[in-house]
Amino acid sequence: MLTVNGKSYELSVSPWRTLLEVIREDLGLTGTKEGCHLGECGACTVIMDGKTVNSCLVLATEADGKQVTTIEGLADGDKLHPVQQAFVDHGGLQCGFCTPGMIMSAKVLLDEKPDPSKEEIKRAIAGNMCRCTGYTKIIESIKAAAGNVEGK
Amino acid sequence: MAEFSVIGERLPRVDAREKVTGKAKYAADYSFPKPDMLWCKLSRSPYPHARILNIDTSAAERLSGVKAVVTGKDFGGWTWGWMPATRDEPPLAVDKVRYMAEAVAGVAAIDEDTAEEACELIKVDYEELPSVFDPEKAMKDGAPKVHDYVKNNISVEYHWNFGDADKAFAESYIVREDRFKTSRATHGYLEPPAILAYYDPTGYITVWAAKQSPYFHYRHLSACFKLPLSKIRVIQPFIGGGFGGTKNDSLAGDFCAVLLSKLTGRPVKYVESMEEELMTSRRRHSMIVYSKMGAKKDGALTAIHHRVIADGGGYTAVGPLSIYLAGFATTLPYKLPNFKYDAYRVFTNNPIGAAMRGHGITHTRFAAEIQMEMIAEELGIDPVEMRMRNAIDNPKPGTVYETINKVTLKTCGIKEAIRKVAETPIWRDRDRTPVKEGDISWGVGLSGTSYLGGARQMGHQSCAAIVRICEDGTVNLITGATDCGQGSDTVLCMIAAEELGIELKDIDIKRVDTAYTPVDPGSYGSRVTILAGQATQKAAREAKKQLLEAAAKTWQVAPEDIEIRHRKVFVVSDPEKSMPFGKLARIACYSGTGAVILGTGYSSYGVEPLDLTNGIGNGGTSYSFTAQLAKVGVDIETGKITVTNFTIASDCGRLLSPITAEGQIEGGAIQGLGQTLYEDFVMDKGKTLNPSFLDYKMPLSMDVPDIELIDVVTDDPDGPFGAKEASEGSIVSTPPAVVSAIHNATGIWFKELPITPEKVVKALREKAPELVGNGNSP
Amino acid sequence: MVTFYRRLPKFYYVAPNAIEEVLSLLSQYKDRAKVIAGGTDLVPKLKRREIKAPEYIIDLKGIPDLDSIRYSEGSGLRLGALVTIHAVETSPVIGEKFSVLFQAAQSMASAQVRNRGTIAGNICNAVPSADTAPALLVLDAELKLISLRGERLVKIEDFFIGPNKTVLTGEEILQEIRVPELLGGKGVYLKLAPRHSMDLAVVGVAVAVVLENGVCREVRIALGAVNPIPMRARKAESIIKGQRMKAEVVERAAQIAAEECRPISDHRASAEYRIEMVRVLTKRAINQALFS
Repeated sequence: MLTVNGKSYELSVSPWRTLLEVIREDLGLTGTKEGCHLGECGACTVIMDGKTVNSCLVLATEADGKQVTTIEGLADGDKLHPVQQAFVDHGGLQCGFCTPGMIMSAKVLLDEKPDPSKEEIKRAIAGNMCRCTGYTKIIESIKAAAGNVEGK
Repeated sequence: MAEFSVIGERLPRVDAREKVTGKAKYAADYSFPKPDMLWCKLSRSPYPHARILNIDTSAAERLSGVKAVVTGKDFGGWTWGWMPATRDEPPLAVDKVRYMAEAVAGVAAIDEDTAEEACELIKVDYEELPSVFDPEKAMKDGAPKVHDYVKNNISVEYHWNFGDADKAFAESYIVREDRFKTSRATHGYLEPPAILAYYDPTGYITVWAAKQSPYFHYRHLSACFKLPLSKIRVIQPFIGGGFGGTKNDSLAGDFCAVLLSKLTGRPVKYVESMEEELMTSRRRHSMIVYSKMGAKKDGALTAIHHRVIADGGGYTAVGPLSIYLAGFATTLPYKLPNFKYDAYRVFTNNPIGAAMRGHGITHTRFAAEIQMEMIAEELGIDPVEMRMRNAIDNPKPGTVYETINKVTLKTCGIKEAIRKVAETPIWRDRDRTPVKEGDISWGVGLSGTSYLGGARQMGHQSCAAIVRICEDGTVNLITGATDCGQGSDTVLCMIAAEELGIELKDIDIKRVDTAYTPVDPGSYGSRVTILAGQATQKAAREAKKQLLEAAAKTWQVAPEDIEIRHRKVFVVSDPEKSMPFGKLARIACYSGTGAVILGTGYSSYGVEPLDLTNGIGNGGTSYSFTAQLAKVGVDIETGKITVTNFTIASDCGRLLSPITAEGQIEGGAIQGLGQTLYEDFVMDKGKTLNPSFLDYKMPLSMDVPDIELIDVVTDDPDGPFGAKEASEGSIVSTPPAVVSAIHNATGIWFKELPITPEKVVKALREKAPELVGNGNSP
Repeated sequence: MVTFYRRLPKFYYVAPNAIEEVLSLLSQYKDRAKVIAGGTDLVPKLKRREIKAPEYIIDLKGIPDLDSIRYSEGSGLRLGALVTIHAVETSPVIGEKFSVLFQAAQSMASAQVRNRGTIAGNICNAVPSADTAPALLVLDAELKLISLRGERLVKIEDFFIGPNKTVLTGEEILQEIRVPELLGGKGVYLKLAPRHSMDLAVVGVAVAVVLENGVCREVRIALGAVNPIPMRARKAESIIKGQRMKAEVVERAAQIAAEECRPISDHRASAEYRIEMVRVLTKRAINQALFS
């Protein structure tokens, strides 16, 4: 039983399928991306039981019974999550491929640290590679979102 | 009132929402339903240079789930290349393989696991051939021949001579000769190339492919499969970065996916693994630059001679352009009375050298900048002073500056850019001797560089746009120009909105689809804003003209008397006469029995053809100028370098979309940083030892400096709203600025990139032992 | 043929919920089975076809009580096999009393990998550059290995036998890491790599020092990434132990440590550079440990 974005799916998958493959290919949630598939780039970052993980390294069966959140689960209908909105407003994306994973890492950071320093932001996204932005506007977007997210 | 209502505003990208919600679909996100779709996988060569004696695909074909297998022969001898004379690359290797892991066969199976298994069952008999990996060795007589159609493995060769460099050197006060080398770098986009292909039996190809310039691929497919262009449909999904690499060309997987679809009658999907991409894709050329530079006693440059040897790898690809670009713009941004250029692109058994952001200019501008600073140091001239003495002045409006090889400038903001950087506290307060804090030696360095915009290739240069006014006043913008992440869709929509007098959100633009969008050369050489922007501007004006005529009729005034701003149409001399834009659209569309309001526009800037052989004339429509400062801390004992600050002053004419342009400048600078300090493919007899993101080290979040941007506005007449290029200048300006800063910190000029900690430690031991103590006391 | 794989090889997956089941499966299948904890080393290796695909993958995460961090004064720290790197780098007791391990954990990979990867996995994978290894060596950790046959305690310095090789038999798993409180909080781990995150160590040095009236009562120095196995630099330690701490003593010890290691040259760094960096980092680590 896979619970993704609050919805439960009863699936029968081969043990060698990764969580990333199942999310993208079986559930059709293609927002989470496959970059390096070895856990080095973070494009596949999802939140599993409150923590960010590289879904390319998680076997789908390992996610049985866990709560998984992907990028598609962040917005509230038409209303963007504050992190998403900040990325839009401050140009924290260009090609957008790293963006879903980046936003998941940013969201978890802000849930734990509502007012992070620049260094804390950099460390939190160290596992999310971006080749387009040079990270500058990503960091600015996350700082801006920090003003708008209610911490836990 | 502000000069513009949309241009220059900090507006979010038009595709931002789609991307942050995960709704934007990239090539690998497309699928056909499971029973139909097949997966393609490629089998590749274990040797860098070998003759293919025999390929036995029978075992693979027999594997349950495999539907078809193809090899090089199945493409009927077709090859492709950038110029007719350089069509040396087959979709799959035919007679021999010329670089490690070149593709040899392709398999289509019901799922990717089966396709992978099938690849292992393909048996190829190779006859290993002697290989060559060093371009200087490859040029010598007796070296193994990579291609038979050229002599001494020389893929491309240019010899240009402007003025009399030898005489100028003889008369110079100082002449330096130095050897520079740039690293083996790659584009490093996060999205591996992917394609979903369907060959309809009636003779129609449809592909969803991650293509930075879809019309190249469209022409390749037409030629390869002998179908008319009207039956080739390249649909472009969102693209996860291009940077001028493999996605700007076609690859083995594309051709195989289409052929396999033709053979099986089913859609075929191909996605590269990142390791596959890093090992086999086109890379930036690695170049050796033998640079000779002369100057007068007061620092005025007298001549440059560049002898460039570029590692072309196994095939030509876009090589001729790379080598041309490495030479033609060496006469910018400083006045240069004599220039000699001898350049060789050499075939080796390495992966193919091709284009990357900054293209050929990055290599030679790096060499020239550093050498000029070395001369300044010897002459005792301050680096800012040295640059200001030589920099080209901003031409007065209406005048044109021409270099000795007839590159023309209508605007040149280099002096203002250098001045602005020199006025910043970091530059003003730098010390001339290295400042040490514990084990860290700090240094500040400067660079002044240029890059072209509005580039062209050979053959088809033109592009077009269509502006379609909907009856309710919203607008569709249709163009073949590609947004590969750089933000061109946003800029083009802003241009259309500005011209029409409406808002950005009133304009919708969709991805390129060659069945509907007009042909476009592609997204490279910073040409889209300038050329597709011009086409968009013209198309919007034409549509606007039709609207104004309808308004004129309604109000019984002359069309010239009517203006549209912020969605309000009004008579200039009588602003009480006004109506909302939507209302005018309805009036215009429903006039008589109805009218279709369409505006079309074509680009016309910079139509001179490229002169590759002689290097005379422009390579683009206009040129950006960048001055950059870098502050670095060098750990004297470990050699580890930390960059803390970049200040980048860019003359991009005018920034049309500041958020987008800033992001490009920042991103280019960090890519430049990567290639200066970290990025290099380590090769062992043709094998790439580090084809992973762990070991091909691109800058991550904790590696980036604080970046301050300064905007220099020169309002160029050859770009829409005065725009020039804004996305490649900073990748050219960064390496010399960082190298200069490292010199300021250590006293050492590094001429080979990347500057790894190990190289720093070695150089410090040999050259500056006074900086390296025997350990610092606690 | 060169084939680039995107998919994992095929295997059976078992998720026992008692440790006896794990041991019984391992005893039955031996090399045909592999255990999985965080998967951050195993999954990439399988994807790359770096190791032969096992027939069975046995998930340890269903075993109760393996993920606890227990500390008591006197007996020290006990880390279960499933304790993640994240758990270590956020543990107040480890931060306060076992700083060398805390720093090693902080230096590793990315948040995503630290959230899943385990300390046990890091040492069982046994790459020469494993960051937790020098830290555990300096802490004189002891490892509890269990199989159907019973259990044995192995000292950490006897655990590694070669690159990617440990004394673990195919039937054993590492159940617990025990860290005595001997040196406690005074420890430093320094990691040298080109970038400022994510990289494998080019050189890793862990040092713990106890001073008494300016004289070194106890010192431990461990090196990673510069030897076929993570190692204690015992000769270097003997230079310092019992000595009054002076700059020359520290420098001499650092020099000896550099002579003790046996690094290789690879695409990440040359042996010469690594040797020199052992000297630099050992000196710095000792100085930092003295002042912490």
